[in-house]
Amino acid sequence: MKILIADDSRVMRQIVIRTLRQAGFGDHELIEAANGREAVEMTQAHSPDLVLSDWNMPELTGIEALRQLRAAGNDVKFGFVTSESTPEMKEQAEAAGALFFIVKPFSAERFDEVFAPILG
Amino acid sequence: MSVEVEVNENDLAEMVEQVWESYLDPEGVSPLMQTYDENQASEVHSSVSITGSWTGHIVYASSMPAARRAAGAFLAMEPDEVSEEDLSDALGELANIIGGNVKAMLPPGALLSLPQVVLAPEATARYPNAHRITGVYGIWDGEPVSISMWQSRGDNKEGAE
Repeated sequence: MKILIADDSRVMRQIVIRTLRQAGFGDHELIEAANGREAVEMTQAHSPDLVLSDWNMPELTGIEALRQLRAAGNDVKFGFVTSESTPEMKEQAEAAGALFFIVKPFSAERFDEVFAPILG
Repeated sequence: MSVEVEVNENDLAEMVEQVWESYLDPEGVSPLMQTYDENQASEVHSSVSITGSWTGHIVYASSMPAARRAAGAFLAMEPDEVSEEDLSDALGELANIIGGNVKAMLPPGALLSLPQVVLAPEATARYPNAHRITGVYGIWDGEPVSISMWQSRGDNKEGAE
């Protein structure tokens, strides 16, 4: 499977990649986007199977990126990996079609719990 | 709008501990040892602003060696191999993670900014009309690290001095 990791922090993208490996998902193809607009463009161009997105990013936020994708008819599996988590954000994410909400700091166990059912 | 701040030193210390356990000290061998010295020196700092139901700043400050070490831990690299860009990125992410966790404890309607990073001591920062309300101050492997919360006076009953 192909997984797109969208985060404006390169350091955090590296941590997400390392944690995916630690959780046993290192064999998947991983591609990276540095902001929400890139996430939309790369999702449309590269058709990943799953998008892991930060919330607060320049250009487009993660939730805006998800809404744009859905408005364009793209139903890629999409979820958030973010330092922010409030009930209102979770509601917005769910309403926009997000599958999961992982809060930073996260652990490999948390990744396994969320991604095992999705990635098998 | 005026709200009592609902995040105290213990909450902040717990968030900081989680960051250390997850990323900076996963083996549990060098935790941040609290010194309670709010005047300890720093060489670099990063911050995020929160506006809305609570208004203020979350500031992460440390020595340069501690910042290099944090970036190295994030990237699984030796501290002296870390570029300035990665060092800034890691500092920003530290403020962002703690700021995001603080925001989660605030009343609904708070917005978090993108992080700002300054490769200069925290003492050079000025947060107009804001004062420090709490913080975690410590030593990590012999180097100073602090995380503090600054609240805007207009948003705080105690702030009317």
